[in-house]
Amino acid sequence: MLTAIAAHFVLAAVLPLIARRWGRGAFVVGAVAPALTLVLAVSHADDALAARHPTETLAWAPGIGLEFTARFDELALLMILLVSGIGALVLCYYACYAKPGDRAVGRDSALLVLFAGSMLGLVLADDVISLYIFWELTTVCSFLLVGGDGLTKKLRKSATQALLVTSLGGLSMLLGLILLASASGTTRISEILADPPGGGVVPIAVVLILLGAFTKSAQVPFHPWLPGAMVAPTPVSAYLHAAAMVKAGVYLVARFAPAFSDLPAWWVPIVVLGLWTMVLGGFRALRQHDLKTLLAYGTISQLGFLMVLVGAGTWITALADVTLVLAHGLFKSALFLTVGIIDKRTGTRDIRELSGLGSRWPVLTAFATLAVLSMAGVPPLLGFVGKEAAIEGLLTGDPKDLALLAGVMLGSVFTVAYSLRFLVGAFGTRPTVAPTKAPPSGVAMTTMVGIPAVASLVLAFAPWIVEPVLAGYADTYPLPAPDYHLALWHGLTLPLLISAVIIAAGYAMYRASLAPKLAGWIPERMSAQNGYRAAVMGLDRGALSITGRLQAGSLPTYLGIILVTMVVLPGAGLLAGGPLSPTELRAWDSWMQLPLAVLVLAAAGTVVLARRRLTAVLLTGVVGYGIGALFIVDGGADLALAQFLVESLTLVVFVFVIRRFPPRFVDARPYFRRARWVKAGIAAVAGTFVAVLAVLYSGSRDGLPEASRFYIENAESATGASNVVNAIIVDFRAFDTIGEIAVLAVAATGAASLILARARQRPPSLAALDETDGTDETDGERTEVKR
Amino acid sequence: MNVFLAQQADRIELPAIDYAAILPMLIILGAACIGVLFEAFLPKHQRWPGQVVLTLLAIAAAGVALGAYVGGSPAEGTTTLSGTLSIDRPALFLWGTLLALALGAVLLIADRSIEPGGAFVAQAGIAPGTVQDRAQVGSTGMQTEVFPLALFALGGMMAFCSANDLLTMFIALEVLSLPLYLMCGLARRRRLLSQEAAVKYFLLGAFASAFFLYGLALLYGYAGSVKLADIANATAGTDRSDTLLFAGLGLLMVGLLFKGSVGPFHTWTPDVYQGAPTPVTAFMAACTKVAAFGGMLRVLTVAFESTSWEWRGVLWGVAIVSMLIGAVLGLTQTDVKRMIAYSSIAHAGFLLIGTMALTEDGLSGTLFYLLAYGFTTLAAFGVISLVRDSTGEATHLSAWAGLAKRSPLLAAVFTFLLLALAGIPLTSGFVGKFVVFSAALSDGMAPLVVIALVFSAVAAFFYLRVVVLMYFSEPAADGPTVSVPGAFTTAAITLGVAVTLLLGVLPAFALDWAGAGGFAIS
Repeated sequence: MLTAIAAHFVLAAVLPLIARRWGRGAFVVGAVAPALTLVLAVSHADDALAARHPTETLAWAPGIGLEFTARFDELALLMILLVSGIGALVLCYYACYAKPGDRAVGRDSALLVLFAGSMLGLVLADDVISLYIFWELTTVCSFLLVGGDGLTKKLRKSATQALLVTSLGGLSMLLGLILLASASGTTRISEILADPPGGGVVPIAVVLILLGAFTKSAQVPFHPWLPGAMVAPTPVSAYLHAAAMVKAGVYLVARFAPAFSDLPAWWVPIVVLGLWTMVLGGFRALRQHDLKTLLAYGTISQLGFLMVLVGAGTWITALADVTLVLAHGLFKSALFLTVGIIDKRTGTRDIRELSGLGSRWPVLTAFATLAVLSMAGVPPLLGFVGKEAAIEGLLTGDPKDLALLAGVMLGSVFTVAYSLRFLVGAFGTRPTVAPTKAPPSGVAMTTMVGIPAVASLVLAFAPWIVEPVLAGYADTYPLPAPDYHLALWHGLTLPLLISAVIIAAGYAMYRASLAPKLAGWIPERMSAQNGYRAAVMGLDRGALSITGRLQAGSLPTYLGIILVTMVVLPGAGLLAGGPLSPTELRAWDSWMQLPLAVLVLAAAGTVVLARRRLTAVLLTGVVGYGIGALFIVDGGADLALAQFLVESLTLVVFVFVIRRFPPRFVDARPYFRRARWVKAGIAAVAGTFVAVLAVLYSGSRDGLPEASRFYIENAESATGASNVVNAIIVDFRAFDTIGEIAVLAVAATGAASLILARARQRPPSLAALDETDGTDETDGERTEVKR
Repeated sequence: MNVFLAQQADRIELPAIDYAAILPMLIILGAACIGVLFEAFLPKHQRWPGQVVLTLLAIAAAGVALGAYVGGSPAEGTTTLSGTLSIDRPALFLWGTLLALALGAVLLIADRSIEPGGAFVAQAGIAPGTVQDRAQVGSTGMQTEVFPLALFALGGMMAFCSANDLLTMFIALEVLSLPLYLMCGLARRRRLLSQEAAVKYFLLGAFASAFFLYGLALLYGYAGSVKLADIANATAGTDRSDTLLFAGLGLLMVGLLFKGSVGPFHTWTPDVYQGAPTPVTAFMAACTKVAAFGGMLRVLTVAFESTSWEWRGVLWGVAIVSMLIGAVLGLTQTDVKRMIAYSSIAHAGFLLIGTMALTEDGLSGTLFYLLAYGFTTLAAFGVISLVRDSTGEATHLSAWAGLAKRSPLLAAVFTFLLLALAGIPLTSGFVGKFVVFSAALSDGMAPLVVIALVFSAVAAFFYLRVVVLMYFSEPAADGPTVSVPGAFTTAAITLGVAVTLLLGVLPAFALDWAGAGGFAIS
């Protein structure tokens, strides 16, 4: 199995080279991989059906539990029939559909084969991580295939919308899967299903997984991406957006349904959104003129139907569901390929311009009619068989199931109506329109339409061919299997009557052309497309406005942000830490401190108001000298000396710098502006905060540290000095002092040489001055640290 | 303290130094000193080759020394230089990461083929816009001091990652920061922007250092020691006031978060990333982040593990803010370098999630993430330096429209790197996110992981926008050209891309290294 997946990827890698040589023949080469996979899967069908379920594992990063695991069971087999079977068909079809010499051949063929491989991996994957990886690979392939060469805005928009919506769902699914895996302690899906975890996290996990499934399968309100994606080439739409990729959501739900079908968080969203989607999709399909968009809304409606059936959670609905998955894959691909032929041969897909094609192309018309009838659920086709089973399954008498049945009937009436609209619109003869001129439809392409269409017919007469696979899946539900078999004829039963009613009502609705009259019924504001647009635009706008506020490029703003956070974060820590041990707070020790403190504060306050640079520098100097004076008051004459020295040195350096600048600051706006008040407020709060911290800090020291005690005890005896500070500087930490002196000397030499060099040499260097400042500041810090 | 007590004996005994363990750092710092001498004594035309050879040799020799030491190193790590440096498995892993990233960055710095004379100005001292400045435009020399500066910064980063006490950490912080401030201002083109970036970085960085120092002082007041292990012991005995502890930790973290450009301390990042010469930006983005988060991991794990319940809430907030700012503001950027800057802020948020986990998985996951992210970013900046027009690098996004048509290879490489940054499977970014998020998940941070996933989806949007722009738009008529990279840049980009791919496909070996052991606690 892993080999088959890898073979797809390898083939995809070489296809561009093949395309360069053989042109559109590359598609046929590409079809080999899915075709072989199909043969392989069918020939090994016994393994899947006999509950042997062969498993293959490839260790990727065993250390963190990452591995690829593939498991071959009934559901996987069914999906392979669709993925590889339709894949091979579509690739062969594309070989005729593409224009000779088209440059996109290499790209599209490689991507389609890559997609086929990813889809194969997706349905085979048995561990959540591989499932997610293949899931996202299909998303990326879809994005690239829809985007094509991206020349028009419409292409880019549609591709991006499909990518955004589905990959968002994919991420949510990943999260759900991981939650589920951690709740059950294993990443293997088969093990999770065998022993479903319980607990509070499981409902959240399943809702997240459902979100992924809903986005991928275009359920309301995520559906608008699917009609948008119809800008892709028709074969791509037939494969990705009808048969395979959009089924991934249904597949995911079907995969997990046996374990969670009783959980309200699981089935309620499925049936509610599923029914809504089914009805809305059918209704919208009745209003379309473009055949392809009509089919797209039809697909949305059918996907909703499939979801409802899984959500209903009984054995028969499960059987009906997988039957319809198969039927839908067959008839929808046939119809898309039909539209492709019409589009290619006549150049239009608008039903208002088409007329008389039915008589020109009788064979194609016959095939398409088979497919349409299967879609409408008319006997004797596979769609009818599936729908019979669905109605039978919902006829349990339970009020919930009856409500579902009513919804399904309404949706099916719409389905019949739009099926007729499609058939008559595409092949009917319109008296008011001139018959469309068209060359023959082409044998090869018509055959590709015929294969799935005829299969719908054959399988309806011989459901026993596929029934083991379908019933095998239904058996995985923890429910007893009732005695029910797929068949065209069950006798005259209630389901048959209901089917007849649906078909009659659908025909009546089509004849009465009721839907176009109701066209304006859905208010524009409800449209999901608007919701998507508003979300994307809102995100863009929000981002712009935040950027404008936060990232203004202004240094004060940046600093303000940092200061505010600085106050908030440790401030929160301060509050969280609880009340401090009460310490004795004194207003002052000596009356001299009071005028000095006022002086320092006044200087600090006025420095921001200074207009002249020199004034500002001098006022800064006053702050420094004031601090120095405070040291003297406390008896630290030596410290004060150092402080005065540093202060004077800084002042001298400043003067040298300021010489080169204009005397006044450039900003001549008034002092008291709003922006300034904010800045002043932030500065004041930050300053106060730091001061408070300092007080708290010095207040909550418990006694002298060990080192200080050691110094004080040994100063006199060991060094003979009566001043501890002296003892520390010249004796205990003499090496430090030497280092300090050396650093100071180097810095001073550097500063001096810069100043002298400037005197000798033009041009003056500004960057060098910055450097001087930097050195000085660190020196200042150093002194502080040492203190 | 040991030193003082030892003085009572007759002879002062030097603390034991495990030279084998710190040899890589010694080689780097020693080579930096030799580089300064080269500047002083070599004639001008010999400086560039001399410096390049010296720098590359030094990094290679340090790598060899590291490799030789790792084989026989004790599993639980060792401390040396009287306990100031702790050489344990995480430190060795970070050293290896730093050396490998620095090798790439130095290769970018040394390239002179893309821009004649290199990305650095010939004489930084000349004021922009003057006559002399216009005269030097034509010169092809470059300020070769950038090589010793880079080595000093690298040495500082290595010391920062292995610092076992806060004072050593502070000195290492300054040693790594000061050269970076200078290097930011050396761009050859757009010099005013570059100098503005340098000044902003310096001023804000000085504030951050001051906060760090203040926090250090408070913690010293609390614990009576600056050693991480002593602080951890102090937090275990609870009779002291927690006020000092949390205020100190808060201030300390402000300094560390600033260096890691975690929001809301990120404000410098976009401006500096944009203004600095691209090779320096690559060096900063890759290596500084590794060093900052390496330091943060050590501080939080060794010193503050027992109080994690109290501070974790705050860091949750910081991580969310960082991811929000990075992902949402990144959406509006029109400049590639600024965009990567915001992406780095978002990634810092993701990294913080792993850092907070404080489990073995969290440690190894974060280390792996750092390795993966560093190489991806390095290569991304390498690619950015190649797309140029007549005014230098064409960093405006509109210039990148339709680049795939002009240079498919470059567009493919850049797409791959962007996908790695977005965390798409089969790239190192996916594995990194996976290990970090699963570590956080198993440590009970599920809501945060949900938020992180949402923001990684938003961030993926702007990476993909660039991809769409390159592939699906018509190239502008007067768009930029893609320079043919010289051997150095090619080597750097190849290194980054190869590692990104390798770690994405075969992450097992790197994860094993990253998870080889915890921090030495002593």
